[in-house]
Amino acid sequence: MSVNQSNGERKFIEEGWFKDFAEGTALMGIRCEACKKVFFPKKEVCPECFDGELREVPLSKKGTLHSYTLSVMGIPGMETPYVVGFIDLPEGIKLFSVIKDCEPWDKVLKIGMEMEMVIGKIRSDESGNEIISYQFKPTHKETR
Amino acid sequence: MREVAIIGIGGTKFGKHTNRSIRDLALEACLKAIRDANIKPRDIQIVYAGNAVQWEWGQGLSIGQPVLRELGLTQVPITRVENACATGSCAFREAWYKVATGACDMALAFGVEQMTVADSSKMLTIVTGKQFAEREGDMGLSPPALFALLARRHMEEFGTTREQIAMVAVKNRKYGALNPDAQLRTAVTLDEVLNERMICDPLTLSQCCPRGDGAAAVVLTTKKLAKKYNSTPVYVAASVQVSGTYPDDRSFTFFDPDVRGAKAAYEMAGLGPEDIDLAEVHDCFSPAELVHYEDLGFCKKGEGGRFIEKGLSDRGGKIPVNMSGGLLSKGHVLGATGVSQIIEVVRQLRGQAGERQVEGAKVGLQHNAGGFIHTDTGTCVIHILKR
Repeated sequence: MSVNQSNGERKFIEEGWFKDFAEGTALMGIRCEACKKVFFPKKEVCPECFDGELREVPLSKKGTLHSYTLSVMGIPGMETPYVVGFIDLPEGIKLFSVIKDCEPWDKVLKIGMEMEMVIGKIRSDESGNEIISYQFKPTHKETR
Repeated sequence: MREVAIIGIGGTKFGKHTNRSIRDLALEACLKAIRDANIKPRDIQIVYAGNAVQWEWGQGLSIGQPVLRELGLTQVPITRVENACATGSCAFREAWYKVATGACDMALAFGVEQMTVADSSKMLTIVTGKQFAEREGDMGLSPPALFALLARRHMEEFGTTREQIAMVAVKNRKYGALNPDAQLRTAVTLDEVLNERMICDPLTLSQCCPRGDGAAAVVLTTKKLAKKYNSTPVYVAASVQVSGTYPDDRSFTFFDPDVRGAKAAYEMAGLGPEDIDLAEVHDCFSPAELVHYEDLGFCKKGEGGRFIEKGLSDRGGKIPVNMSGGLLSKGHVLGATGVSQIIEVVRQLRGQAGERQVEGAKVGLQHNAGGFIHTDTGTCVIHILKR
């Protein structure tokens, strides 16, 4: 996993959440081989059936927008205002996420629209490190 | 289970008490409740003390004993309770449970919180943490953002409007102005609310509860003993506590613990929403109150916006809600909030609510939600009280 040392460190919010593949970095979930339910993040046991063997699986990079808001008041370390939302993945997982590349947010964003995952900086921590996590952006925008 | 009665209530004014000690705040509430109950401190056999966090520096130890020592109430079991925003209701419920099951005959529950001593920029870091698997609080989620997400989805699915959501603040501040113990005692107009500073769209400032300092206390005993001390006991018809299921595959327009909790509470009381004369519900942010109307069965799913617009949750309506002014007027004083909701219902049922009295109220419901985990509240506590 690539980590730049330029201005402070680039740190994944949770190291274990991501895995590198030929086609890029993916957010990882867990699938229970018995009940077939998928969870994020990883679990020690299947919380649904407490039975099956768990297998790590990359999660879909596309989902639909469940809800969104402009956060004018934000959490420490994040530049305000920023847009956040819930994204529904086809695996039946709901992810809370920062939403990028959606200006003007109140015109661009529509509940139910397709969104795609990107990996990038979400905020800085107290020591000036860049905290990296997944984010989503509307699919219809041109990929840079 | 034995029938339990509330015979004493007492609380401080909610607001800014930065220069008083947390012990002093709790002491004032306990003393008022004990005097109101017409008992001596040593008549109390068990105590549950609700306190979520000691905010100036993080977590604290022992809140009950240092307070009750001041009243000479020593030796008996005293336990602190923490359950996020439902802390106070859980303390009350533990006290109720001990009396109901016969473990003791007289119990005290109090809740206290002193939040203005905290640096506001650090408050969010106290409520998030690595115990939450999805780390949402570290990725941009704040409490108002969460309720804004609830509002936006509700608007989309049911046609709820910004105006209807803002009406919660207008109604609650109207009654907060009549409550001497509330923190914000000025009414606001719909135009003012809609045009205020935006916090998380569509929530403006008055649609978000302020923090505060304060305490509230309640004395409970058996139905049999109640009459000896108090001529207007209020009985606990139902006490229910449930936790969340945190589902992913659901529409973010309701709180499942509230739906399950309400069903269990009505069953336990042998009553339905049609029997409720007034309710104190957890209006931490304005959309929450509309959703609670639906989840508690006051109206059909999706009708919350129209329920308030028609005045059905106002005094004179179907079920007057938050006649205390709610959290939006009182402030959300975490440990004290649930107990103060119970106090308001007791005042209403005793006919002692002054200018905000709901005439002839016989049955009241109290609802307190606690904590947020992924897509669900962590805890929901519901009490139904009757005269």
